[in-house]
Amino acid sequence: MSSESILSLRVNGQPFRRLVPAERSLLDFLREDLGLTGSKHGCDVGDCGACTVLVEGQPRLACITLAVEMEGASITTIEGIGGPEGPHPVQKHFDQQVASQCGYCTPGIVLVLVALLRDDPQPSESRIREVLGSNICRCTGYTKILAAARAAVGAA
Amino acid sequence: MLPFPKFDYAAPTTLREAVSLLCTPGARILAGGTDLLPSLKHRLFEPSLLVSIRRLTELREWEMLPDGGLALGAGLTLQQLSGLPALALYPGLQEACRTVATPTLQGTATIGGNILLESRCLYYNQPVGWRDAIGGCLKCDGSVCHVAPKGKGCYAAHSADTVPTLWLLGAQVELVGPLGVRLVPISALYSGDGLRPMLLQPGEILTRLLLPPPGPPTVHRKLRTRAAIDYGLLLVAASRSQSGYRAVVSAVGPAPIEVRGESPEDLAEAAFRAVQPLGTHAPAPTWRKKVLRVEVRRAAESLKEG
Ligand SMILES: Cc1cc2nc3c(=O)[nH]c(=O)nc-3n(C[C@H](O)[C@H](O)[C@H](O)COP(=O)(O)OP(=O)(O)OC[C@H]3O[C@@H](n4cnc5c(N)ncnc54)[C@H](O)[C@@H]3O)c2cc1C
Ligand code: SF4
Ligand code: FES
Ligand code: FES
Repeated sequence: MSSESILSLRVNGQPFRRLVPAERSLLDFLREDLGLTGSKHGCDVGDCGACTVLVEGQPRLACITLAVEMEGASITTIEGIGGPEGPHPVQKHFDQQVASQCGYCTPGIVLVLVALLRDDPQPSESRIREVLGSNICRCTGYTKILAAARAAVGAA
Repeated sequence: MLPFPKFDYAAPTTLREAVSLLCTPGARILAGGTDLLPSLKHRLFEPSLLVSIRRLTELREWEMLPDGGLALGAGLTLQQLSGLPALALYPGLQEACRTVATPTLQGTATIGGNILLESRCLYYNQPVGWRDAIGGCLKCDGSVCHVAPKGKGCYAAHSADTVPTLWLLGAQVELVGPLGVRLVPISALYSGDGLRPMLLQPGEILTRLLLPPPGPPTVHRKLRTRAAIDYGLLLVAASRSQSGYRAVVSAVGPAPIEVRGESPEDLAEAAFRAVQPLGTHAPAPTWRKKVLRVEVRRAAESLKEG
């Protein structure tokens, strides 16, 4: 029983060891302690998906995950998926379809789609919609996000 | 940014250690955290210690029982559960798992946490500032109930999607505590008091969910504003056997309510008479009461066709 612990984990393939207080969220750990600001603070209580990261490849909401729970875990954030020089196919299609406006929801949505297409390379339209139900976008009206997702099927 | 309050954290490796830690005053179990952690950010309660189930590997196991039923570890996620081939024989339960929150949350949320989901209310599940502006309520930081100001208790709604179906199936939970192990039917787990909705003893951990062998199929219906994310405005599970129809209705008070009937229409009328939705949700209670009749009838009719 303790108020802080030494946390060892891998983020985007790189090992880290840090002392974290029990009440540190994974999101604050990534953003404040590691400087990885690609994962966003949206609602901060599990409603919106802006903070989504992959834990052992599975989407998880970093705002309602304790950093100390991630001991030994392997985490992928949007920074680990691809950047302007080497975008992931899902990112490329987001760009081509202009599926981002303010972009706040984009990292979370890209990660959810990356995980979906890895497990199910040919998802049905209803499966794509079901999975995208995990994330809220306040700008686009979803049409272009769906277009980017459909375009990424087979390309990811 | 909403910070967490301060607390201690422990991740025991044995059940015995977990039970003894859980006997610390103010200790609480942390499973997926998808109900608990947002509530901490909203300061609905401030536990002194969170006891994580992360290292209790036995809580993630499952097995077929000799009688043909299933024993499911309380730490299995809703995604793991709905993906078990054996769950296809319990279609209502499988459907209920898939309607909880969102696919991302189903990958974190556990079945144990769902069964023990705190009761919910429009005036309770709100940020601190919102609640302060109305002076809190009986359930947290206040002295009146805004839903029933003349009433004596709290009517915060039982909202766990999987429970109406588990109730109809005759499922039981295994609880391990400082005094030993006990089995409790799901239908006897809820007190009906919104302030303390679950009849758990201090220090008890839900370890396993026990399902009887597959019987008559159950259906699960969930009325909600959006097809994703939202909690139910009404939850209805129904089943049919030689002796007639049964339905369990929830999101209408601190405990689910069971009704019986000879036909779908009869069942719907029984539910309409027995259940009084309250102002715990945004839509008018009178509207929820009318729709309840429709939801129950449709649930029963879908069994008739099947
Ligand atoms: C945006 C959003 C939408 C949601 N929508 C729904 C919905 O539609 N339907 C629904 O049913 N739920 C919904 N939930 C709530 C929640 O995700 C689920 O109920 C989930 O199954 C809770 O499980 P958990 O493992 O995350 O529980 P936790 O949050 O870890 O725990 C919940 C409670 O149970 C106790 N507990 C957990 N496991 C045990 C155990 N083994 N023994 C003793 N005590 C235990 C905890 O101490 C806590 O009080 C939603 C949550 C969010 C954030
Ligand atoms: S039913 Fe009343 S006391 Fe209970 S949470 Fe709602 S407003 Fe508060
Ligand atoms: S910021 Fe985590 S879900 Fe909204
Ligand atoms: S692009 Fe602004 S929230 Fe989605």
